Parts: sequence; C-alpha cells; structure tokens
Amino acid sequence: MDSPTFLRMSGVRKRYGGVTALDGADFEADSGTVHAVLGPNGSGKSTLLKVLTGVVGPDAGQVRLDGAPLRPRGPRDTLTAGISSVYQELSLVEDFTVLDNLVLGVEPSRFGLRDRRAALARSLPWLERFAPAFGGRVPVRERVSDLDPGERQVVEVCKALVRDPRVLVLDEATASLRRGQVEVLFEVVDELRARGVLILFITHRLAEIYAVCDRATVMRNGTDVATVAVAGTPEAELLELMSGRPSAAPSGTRGPGTPAVETPTEGPATAPDATAAKDQDTDPATSPRLEVRDLTGDRLHGVSLKVRAGEVLGLGGLQGQGQSELMAALFGAARRTGGTVLLDGTPVRARSPKQAVRAGFCYVPGNRGTQGLALGRPILENLALPSVGRRAFLGVGLSRRREVAAARAVAERVNTRYGSLNDPVSTLSGGNQQKIVVGKWFPTEPAVVLMDDPAKGIDVGAKAEMFDVVAELAASGAAVIVGSSDDRELVEVCDRVLVMFEGRVVDEVSGDRLTEDTLIASAMHVTGADVAAAREGHTSELPDPEPRHAEEGGA
Amino acid sequence: MTTTLTARRLTRDPVVISGVVTLLLWVVASFYSPAFASWGHIVTTLTVASFLGVIAIGQTLVIIAGGEGIDLSVGSAATLSAIVASRFMDGSNDGFLFAVLVALGSACVIGVVNGIGVLLFRVPPLVMTLGMIAVVAGFIRLYTGGRPEGSAAPLLNQLVTGDTVFGIPGVLWLWLALSVVVIWLLRRTAFGWRLYAVGANRTTAHLSGVNPSAIRFSAYVLSSLFAGVGGLLLLGYSQNVYTNLGADYMLNSVAAVVIGGTALIGGVGGYLGTIVGAILLTVLSALLRTMQIGGGEWGDAPRQILFGLVLIVVLTAYGRQRHLRA
Repeated sequence: MDSPTFLRMSGVRKRYGGVTALDGADFEADSGTVHAVLGPNGSGKSTLLKVLTGVVGPDAGQVRLDGAPLRPRGPRDTLTAGISSVYQELSLVEDFTVLDNLVLGVEPSRFGLRDRRAALARSLPWLERFAPAFGGRVPVRERVSDLDPGERQVVEVCKALVRDPRVLVLDEATASLRRGQVEVLFEVVDELRARGVLILFITHRLAEIYAVCDRATVMRNGTDVATVAVAGTPEAELLELMSGRPSAAPSGTRGPGTPAVETPTEGPATAPDATAAKDQDTDPATSPRLEVRDLTGDRLHGVSLKVRAGEVLGLGGLQGQGQSELMAALFGAARRTGGTVLLDGTPVRARSPKQAVRAGFCYVPGNRGTQGLALGRPILENLALPSVGRRAFLGVGLSRRREVAAARAVAERVNTRYGSLNDPVSTLSGGNQQKIVVGKWFPTEPAVVLMDDPAKGIDVGAKAEMFDVVAELAASGAAVIVGSSDDRELVEVCDRVLVMFEGRVVDEVSGDRLTEDTLIASAMHVTGADVAAAREGHTSELPDPEPRHAEEGGA
Repeated sequence: MTTTLTARRLTRDPVVISGVVTLLLWVVASFYSPAFASWGHIVTTLTVASFLGVIAIGQTLVIIAGGEGIDLSVGSAATLSAIVASRFMDGSNDGFLFAVLVALGSACVIGVVNGIGVLLFRVPPLVMTLGMIAVVAGFIRLYTGGRPEGSAAPLLNQLVTGDTVFGIPGVLWLWLALSVVVIWLLRRTAFGWRLYAVGANRTTAHLSGVNPSAIRFSAYVLSSLFAGVGGLLLLGYSQNVYTNLGADYMLNSVAAVVIGGTALIGGVGGYLGTIVGAILLTVLSALLRTMQIGGGEWGDAPRQILFGLVLIVVLTAYGRQRHLRA
C-alpha cells in the first residue's frame, strides 16, 4: 500500500502481573475496510483492542491514527479521536430510555440545557435504520429494561454509531443477535465501509468473517501472526494460522481445505480407534456415574454428556459458550428449562444448590472471592460451611474439637499452608484460598465434582497441586467436570474434553487427539452449518438437532 | 511475639474498646457522684441495661445476617408483646404460661411479616421494618382503643424484680441465661456458622448448599421473638403498659449492636459486644443525667447532643481501627 496506513499499532506490549498478554504486537488497518481480529483464548486480541480504545494502557508501543499519534488516557480520549466500540457486556443504563442512552455522555446542549430535539435528530436516523432489527419498531422512548437481549445489543451498536466514529470496534457484538438482526448490522457495516469507516470485527463465528470481512489479522501468544485477505484464504488456512501448526491434526490426516468429516457420535463408547482409548472403559455396558440428556436453560441449547466414576471430563471451547452456565445449571444455581440429569441412573432434579449438595454434587465456582469464600470469616468456618450440618449434634450443636479436627484433615489433604484456622481466609494467598474452596467439599464425599476454572489466577506451583487434588477427587470415585479457558490445563488434567459452542457440545476430543492444537482448532472450527444450527436454537425453541461431534476423518 | 500480637489484637477489638470506654465513663461518674460506685447503683444500672440487652439480641442476629439487615420494629414487637400479655394476665397468675405464649406469638407474627416482606417481596429491611412500626401501632390502637388494659401477673413481676442473692434481681439472671444461649447459638451451632457465612457472603453461602433466605427469615423471626421477651420483662418491671413502651429501643438497640463491634454490612461481630454496648449506653445516659446537664429551660436537648457526640466518637474510633487493619 502506498497511502499512509490509517491505523497503525506497533510494538505494543502489555503484562498483567506475571502474564504477558501482548508481546510486541503490530497491527495495521485501512480506512474503508472491515478488518477481523482472530485468535484463540488468551491470544491477546481483546487486550490489543482495549489498548486501542483506551481501556488498557500499554506498557510499551505506539498507536497512530490517520497519521497522528494517539495516547489515550481513558476511553473518553479515544471517543474524541473517533473510536467507538461495542462490547458484548452491555454498557447501557437499564432505567434510561433508549434515546437517553444513545446520547449519554455526548448530550447536545443549548444554553447549558439539554437539547432534546438535537438529541433526537442525531439518534433517530440510526434507530430508523435498525428498525427491522427491532421488529419494525423505532423504540426511542422505550426503556432499555423493556428490551430483549438482542435488541439491547442493537441499541449498543446505535450508541456507538451516534458518536459518528471513524473507527468502529465490534467485539463479539453479534453473539446475542438473531439472524435478522445480524443481517441488518451487516448491511450497515457495508454502508459504513463505503463511507470510509474502519470496522474492527471480533467474532468466534468464522462464517461471519467470510460474510462481511475484507481482511483478517490472526493473533497468537500475544503477537500478530499474519494478516491476510479473507477472500483468498480458505478456512483451513485461518485455522492453521491460529493453532500455529501446518496442520491442526498432529497425525496430519486433515489437510488444508479438507473439511472435517462430521460423524454423529454418542458418548465415549463410540471412540473407534484403539489409540483414543487412553484409559477409557469402552464397554458400553458400563453405566456412567453422571449422565446429562438434552439439558436446556439460560444459554444452554441441549447439552448431553456422560461421565464415568473416576473420569475427569473437560469443558473446552472459546470462553463464554455455556460452560459456566452448564455447571451452574447442574448445581441448581441456574434455571433449567428442560432435559434430564441422571446420577448413577437415578434422575436428579436439583432446584437449588442445597438440593444439589444433598444429591451428591459439589461446585467450585469461577470466582473464589465473590462466590467461593466468605473472605472475612475464619478458615475454619469456610472449610466447615458445606458439611457443618452433618457433624452437628441433632443438626444443631457443634463440637469445636470435632470441627477443628475435620478442618485440619482437609487442610492437610489439599496441602494448604495457614497460620491459624481462626485467621480470616482472606489472609491466605490466592492458591491457598482456592484450595479452601475445593477442600471444603471433601467432607461431603461428592459423587459429582463441578469445577469452573479451578486454576484461574493462581501460581504454577499451586496449579500443579490443584490438579493433584482434582486427580484425587476423581480417584475417590467421583465424576469430575472441569471447565477452563486454558487449553493447556485441559490437556493436562482431563481424560476427555467436550468442546462447547453457543450453548451446545460441538466436538469431543480424547486420547491421542487430546492436544492443545486440536482443542484450538476445534474451538475455532465452527462451520456454517454449526452457526446456522446454533442460531436456529436462539430463534426457536424447537427440539435441537443432534449435537455434532467433528471426528477425525480419513486415517 | 505472640503476646504482643495478642495485645495488639486486644487493643483493636471493639468489645475491648467499648468495655474500656464503659469503665472510663463509670470512673468519671463515680468522681461526680460517689453513689455511682455503690453496689446498689451498679445493680440498678445493669437492670436498666438488661431490657435493652435482651431486645438487642435479635437486632444482633438480623444485622449479622447481612443484606442491609436491620430491624427497626423491635420496639413495636416489645410493646405489642407487653400489651397482649398485660391484657391476658390482668394482674393474676392464672393462665400465666398461656399469656406468655400468646404474647410471644403475637410478637413473632411481626417477624414473620418482616421476613416475608424482605425475602419474598424484596422490600429493603430498613423500609420494611420502619413500615411495620406504623402497622403495629395501628393494630395496638385497634386492640386497646388507645388505653391498654390489665397489668402484669405477680409471678412475672416476681421473676423480674424479685431479689435473689446480693440484691441481684431476677431479670439479670434471665439476661445472663439468654446471653449464654445466644452466644452458644452464634458460636457453637450450625445455624450460627451459617448465619455468619450468609452475612459475610450470601452468594458463597448459597453455593455451599446453605439456604440464605431460610437463615435470614429465621433471624427476623428470632428478632421479634427476643424483642417480645424484652417486652415481657419491661412489663414485669413496670407492671403496667403504655403504648410507646418500647419506642426508645428502636435506635438504641441498633446503637448497642454497632458499638459492640457488629458491622452493619453483616458477617462480623457477636452478642458479647452487644452486651457491652447496651451497658455503655445505659451508663452514659445515667452519667449525663447525674451531671444534670440540661434540665430547666433547655430540657433534654443538651443531654441528647452529648449522647450523640459520644456515640459518634466511639464509632469513629472503630472506623479508624478497621482502616489500620486493612
């Protein structure tokens, strides 16, 4: 390109504590294009865009927009520079009307008073443009709290557009949209492109990239790997770039451009080749400890799975594809709208965590500070909480000596280092805190262990110990389900990994196939059919089609 | 090392701080009026404190349970219980137990309604229990026609004011017994541990298999129950009732709990602190009265101002020590 590049980010570095999120990433994009940013979990794509939008300050590196250096001190500065973003997490004020939200922070004023007519003049054209996405309405005066999630997301897009951006960042902005809404959005994106706006597009739906994007930059391990023209690049090549191997499959069976053969399979029993049976009991007669059939609920569109006693099942895939929701639903902490859960062949219908615990479930939530611990309370009480009733005399009276003995036994099993059991649990290090969150379940002798990112934010040593604890729980005969956004962890800990996408299981990876590369490829390898199927589930409540398990073809 | 650590922890313990403040107030009062140091005066002060102490039991539980928990209707529950008991007893020992049960039962109804409002209809506890004050006042007016009838059973009067050893009245033994039970409830029962967990982090408690709503509901019902007990004790003490018998206990019970180191955010504190808080408030109020501050044309006003200022100073000291700890 001869003309000076419109947006140029160079040598951007960012570390969060000991984790390098961006390691000298370069990024260039031209005005009047739709540019995709792709990469697996933790590749740094979100951080890169946060640096651009001023949400995150980089440790090093430069950003130039239209020739001028951009050093934002916060999102407000980038807004003035003409950069607007739409995030998946909504930033709307629920009690405000749509109009008030659209002009929030940029309210036109006359003589120091808010000028509603000007506000309307700026907002109305965009709302009218998106009318088909609101079912034909133009909801100017409706309150945001009365809109459904898809409509709110559209309002979010309008809010970015009212700011008249030169750069529009769409970060997973299509995730909660219905098909019709996506179509309108893409039409608008086309119009903006014609007007010279740069649109940066992050999505986990590859099909959308082919539908709307001109170019794509692939990120991996905190740096940019390649920038390609989307039109001339087959899907397989994009996947290779993301997983970082000439071929995603280590055995080399899947060549570039060869689509994965989709074979409907049912559970581990059908893993055909001997290599896949690492330490798997392939006897179909063996009944699973936990069986889930067609579970539906918030962001879950028909999940089926089986876990045997002593097995560690991983939930992989991109972040936020229903893994956390699945575990919460199984634990009775989130609403279930349908499906069956069988524990040792007996149906379990837990409507609250209390009932789930009684049935033999335990749950290690994703956020230990807000969900896993009572931080100000002593270690002793935190460890006792789930099982305290079982040790109480007549369900009431406690013996301090017995409580201390039980807590000591657990602390020893999970190898927690502490000063005194009476110290607040907040005085422990992150790793030791997490061991309390897991350890408190030992006395309940759980039959099913649900762990949502159990090794998040703890150091390497504590991580290894945490995995030992997971193995110990499995060895005690529990069915263990571990969700993690870190594919390396899943490979290390799990016997088998289910890859989730938009609320359903789309792949099962086990045996020799269970490698980081396969998981990345599988998470990203979402075909048009999958997207259509998933979106179908969004729009209608029809029975879901069989979950797809992309198995290795050829061989 | 360990001793200095313990010493430091002690000087930061709200129970110790308020205990020391109480002693200081006592010493000052004794200088002012030597009668303060007499055994009889000590017993009288503790007796006055006992009513507040018993009514504040439930307040302690509700505040520990968290979720902006507070029960402003404890005074109303005390009044209602005393009025109901007084009418049923009507100065006779016949059907004593029945009268006590009906009185406590009617107090518990207030707690049940509070619990339903707060947990089912998600009314903020402050608003719910404040509203209940008016509702209960209306009921009392309907029930009594504005003029409460009857009087305490002699047995109740005997239980409360009757001398035992060393001139200690029965009500102090009752307070002691209730204190032991409540402290045991908080420290040595599954309910107590769950209560603290719910107050400290409701989500964690929920995800640990505890039913936070059941725990909080129990706290509101217990609050009204103990307030009802306090009302009965007041009835036994004064023998007759009036329609704003418990009104003073609404904010004083909250003050006693907070002075005792129980945090309004929940999950922290205990009843021992409330005991000290109740005594501190009573001593302070007695001291101000002895010093004859106010009176005459100014009435109660200067006393109230000083009372408030001392409270603010004590609570500011807590804020500071919490800051130091962090």
